[in-house]
Amino acid sequence: MKTKRDQPDFGYLSKALNAGAGLASAAVIASFFLLSTVRAQDATKTDEMIRFEGYPGAPEVEVVPRKDELFFFPCDQCHASMEPNPEIRPLDTMHDTGIDHGRGRIWCLSCHDFEKRDYLRTLLGEPVDFDDAYIVCGGCHANRHKDWAFGVHGKRVANWAGTRTQYNCTHCHNAHSPAIPARPPKPPPPVRAGLKRERDADHGESSTNSTEQE
Amino acid sequence: MAVIRFIYDSGREMLRGPREYWLWLMILSAVVAYGAFRYAEQLSTGLVVTGMSDQVSWGFYIANFAFLVGIAAAAVLLVIPAYIFHRKDIKEVVLVGEGMAVAAVTMAIMFVVVDLGRPDRLWHMIPFIGRFNWPTSLLAWDVVVLSGYLVLNLAIPFYLLYTRYCGKEASFRLYFPFVVLAMFWAISIHTVTAFLFSANPARPFWHTALLGPRFIASAFASGPALIILTLEIIRKVASYNVRQSVIDTLALIMATAMQINLFFVGAELFTDFYNEGAHAASIHYLFLGLDGFNSLQPWIWFALTLNVTAVVILMINPLRANPVYLNVACVLAFIGIWIEKGMGLVIPGFVPTPLGEIFEYAPTGVELSVAAGIWAFGVLMFTLLAKAVIAIEQGKLRYSGNSRSALL
Amino acid sequence: MSDKADSKEEKNKFEMARRSFLRGIGMSAAATAATPAWGGQTFSDAFADFFQKHYQRMSAEEIEEALERIERKASLRYGVKIDCANTPPQEGVVFGYAINISRCQGYRDCVDACVKENNLGRDSQVQYIRVLQMDRGDTNLEHSEHYYDPAEVPVEGKYYMPVQCMQCDDPPCVKACPVEATWMEPDGVVVVDYDWCIGCRYCMTACPYWARHFNWTEPEIPAEEMNPDTHFLGNRPRPRGVVEKCHFCLQRTRKGRLPACQEACPTGARIFGNLLDPDSEIRYVLANKQVFRLKEDLGTEPKFWYYSD
Repeated sequence: MKTKRDQPDFGYLSKALNAGAGLASAAVIASFFLLSTVRAQDATKTDEMIRFEGYPGAPEVEVVPRKDELFFFPCDQCHASMEPNPEIRPLDTMHDTGIDHGRGRIWCLSCHDFEKRDYLRTLLGEPVDFDDAYIVCGGCHANRHKDWAFGVHGKRVANWAGTRTQYNCTHCHNAHSPAIPARPPKPPPPVRAGLKRERDADHGESSTNSTEQE
Repeated sequence: MAVIRFIYDSGREMLRGPREYWLWLMILSAVVAYGAFRYAEQLSTGLVVTGMSDQVSWGFYIANFAFLVGIAAAAVLLVIPAYIFHRKDIKEVVLVGEGMAVAAVTMAIMFVVVDLGRPDRLWHMIPFIGRFNWPTSLLAWDVVVLSGYLVLNLAIPFYLLYTRYCGKEASFRLYFPFVVLAMFWAISIHTVTAFLFSANPARPFWHTALLGPRFIASAFASGPALIILTLEIIRKVASYNVRQSVIDTLALIMATAMQINLFFVGAELFTDFYNEGAHAASIHYLFLGLDGFNSLQPWIWFALTLNVTAVVILMINPLRANPVYLNVACVLAFIGIWIEKGMGLVIPGFVPTPLGEIFEYAPTGVELSVAAGIWAFGVLMFTLLAKAVIAIEQGKLRYSGNSRSALL
Repeated sequence: MSDKADSKEEKNKFEMARRSFLRGIGMSAAATAATPAWGGQTFSDAFADFFQKHYQRMSAEEIEEALERIERKASLRYGVKIDCANTPPQEGVVFGYAINISRCQGYRDCVDACVKENNLGRDSQVQYIRVLQMDRGDTNLEHSEHYYDPAEVPVEGKYYMPVQCMQCDDPPCVKACPVEATWMEPDGVVVVDYDWCIGCRYCMTACPYWARHFNWTEPEIPAEEMNPDTHFLGNRPRPRGVVEKCHFCLQRTRKGRLPACQEACPTGARIFGNLLDPDSEIRYVLANKQVFRLKEDLGTEPKFWYYSD
C-alpha cells in the first residue's frame, strides 16, 4: 500500500514545466508578429508565390495537338477587329452553342482569354494555348487532371511503351457540354451458328445520360 | 502356334450361330453403320452440327462417356467376389463381366474421340512423340487409366481363356497380381473421371468432394443392373448356366449402392437448398428451372422417380427375389442413373455459365445417331466377346493341335 | 556366247525400263506433292501440317516454314495475302490490364475492334470480349445482361463491365490441357498453339471467366476485312475445331502498340501496360485506385483489374 510518504515529489517538475510553457508561448507570439511583417512585405511580390508546375512524379507526356481539329481557329481572324465585351450574357450567331458546363457557375470568358481570343486562360488569368487546354480544365478538375497526368484518365494512343502520347481533355469532352452523350451500342453478341437464343435481346429502356461528371 | 489357333477359333465362334444370332448382329451393324455415316457428316462440317455451344461446351457425348466409365468400373463387382472371396458361382461368369467392361471402356473412349474438335490430331497425346500433360491434366490421367483398364481387361481374360482353351491350368501366381491391380484400377478409372469434373472451381455444381463417391455409388448401382439383365439374357439365349446366387449377390450389391446413391443426392439437395446462395444456381436450374429455363427439369424428376421406385423394389426382399420385379428394378435403375449421371450431371455444370448466362442445350440428330452407333458398337463387341467366352467356358472350344503347345 | 550377249542385252533393257519406271514414280510423286489436294492445299503442305511439332519444340527454321504454310493456307482459303510473324516477347515485360468501370458506357466498340483486328469468324459466334450490363450496386454476375440492346447506352441504373481473358498468373486452363496446347508466355500472356490443340474443350470447362471460345465451324472472314498483320500465336487465321481466346493482341503489343480494344474505347476506360515498369499507368492504377479482380477467391491471380472512380 502506497503512503503519501512513498510518492515522488513533482513540485519542482511542475514549476519547471510552467516556466517552460510561458517562455514557449511568448516565443510563438513574438515570431507571429515578426513573420507577419515579413509576410506582409512578400504579399506584394507575386513572382515569389507558389505556382502550379505539374504533379510531382508525373511522367513526360506528349499531348496530341488540338488546333488542327478546331474549325473556327484561329479565333483572332474575327476577334482581332472586334471590341471585347466582358458582360455576362447569352451569345448568338456563331457562338450560340450555349454552355452546359458548371450549371451557371462559369461562362465563356471564364476559360477564354478576354483579349487574346487565340488563347484560353487559367483561373489566374494566364494565357494558355489551345493545345494545352488540359491546364485550364485542371484548374477546377484537379483530381481528374492528376489522374490524366499519370495516364489513368483519358486515353493514351499509339504505344504502351516509349513516348507517352495522350489525348487532350477536349479531344473527348466538348468543353461547352463536357458530359459524354449517350449513344446506341454496337449489336449484342451473336449466338453460335445454327442455334437460337430463346429470349429476345434485352432492349431495356433508353435513357439520357444523367450521370454527372465531376 | 496355339495362340493364333486360339484367336482364329474364337473368331470363328463369334461368327457362328443360329439365325436369330445373325439377325441380332445385322441389326447392330446397321445401327453402327448409320452412326458412322452421321459421324462422317460431323467430320466434314464440324462440331457445329451438334447442339453444343461456347456456353454448354460438353453435351450428350460426354454425358454418355461419364455413364459408361461407371459401367466399366462395375465389372470389379464380379472380380472381387470371384477372386478374393473365391465365389465359384461368380467365377463362372466373371469373364463375361470383364467382356462387358471391355465393351464399356471402348464405348467410353469412342465417345471422347467423337467429341474432339480435331480427332486427326490424336497423336499429339502420345508421350514423347506428342506432348502429354501428365500428371497435371486430369484428362491425361483419364487417358492413362482408361487405356490401362482396357489392356488389363483384355489381357487377363485372354490369358485365362487361352489356358482354358489349351486345357491347362492358369498360373494363379501369374494372373492374380494383375487381377488385384485391375480391382484397384477399376475404382481409379471412375474416381479419375469424377475428378475430371470436380477439379474445376469454375463449375460450382461439380466442385464438390462428394462427386467421386457419387460416381462410384451410381456406378455400382447401374453396373450390376446391366450385368443382371445381361446374365438373364445369356442364361436363356446361350443356355449357359448362370446360378441364381450370382444374381442374388448382384441384386444385393445394387440395392445397397442405390441406397447410398440416393442418400448422396439427398445430401446435395439439402446442402444447396437449405441456405441457397449463388453456388446453388446449377442445381436450382436442374430441379426447379432458372429464370424460366427448365428443359432438364422433367428429365431429372423422372430419373429420380425411377431410381426411388427401383430402390424400393430392391429393398423389399421378396420383390428382389422375384425375377420379374428384379428385372423391372434393373431397367428402371439403369435408365434413371443414365439420365441423372449423364445429362443430369454434365449439362447443369454449364448452366449458368461462369458469367451468369443461361443458355440451354439439346442434342441434335447427329449426336443421337452417333451415340446410338457407338452403343450399338459396344453391344456388338460384347456380343462377340461373350460368344467366344461362353464357348470356351462351356468347353466347346478346345485346342486340338499337337501337344507341343507353348504354355506358361 | 550369243546367249550371253542376249542376256546382257536383256539385262540392259530391264535396267533401262527399271530406271525409267523409278524416274516416272519419282516425277509423279513430286508432281503429286505439288498438286493441290485437301481443299487446295498441296500434299507436301498437308503432310507438313499434319506432322507439325508443338510451337515450343520447333526450331527457328521450322517455325519459319510453318509461318509460310499459314500464309499459303490463308491465301487459298480467303484469297488474301497475309503476313504471319513470330515476334518474341520483350524482355522485362509482363502485361497487365485495368478497366475503369465508371468510364465504360457499354458501347461495345472494343468488341467490334477486337473482332476486326483478330480475324474472328463473323458468323462463328466467337467474340473474345463480352460486355456485361450490371445493375448498379449489384456484383452478382448471374444478374448480368449479356444481350442488352437499348436505343442508347448507358442505361439509367446500370453499369458496364467488359470481360475477356484475364491472363491468369495461375491459369486453370493451362493445367487442364492434356496436350499442353496452351501455356503462359514470358510476357504473361496465356497463348494457344492453334495447330496443336485437339479440340477437347476441357480448358473451356476449367476457365472461370468464360474467356475461351471454340471454332464450331470454319471461321468466315470477308477478304476485304482480313487483317494481314498476324502472329503465329495471335490473330493468324485459325482452323476449325480448335479453341482460341484473347491474347492481348500479341501481334501489336509485342511491337509496342496498344491492343485494339484499348484503342477503340472512346472513353479511355481501358488501361494497358507493363506491370514490371513502376512508372506505367497500370502500376499507378494498382497503387492509387480501388481495384478489384473477378472471382478473386478462386486463386487464379488474373492480370486484369477493375476499378471505379
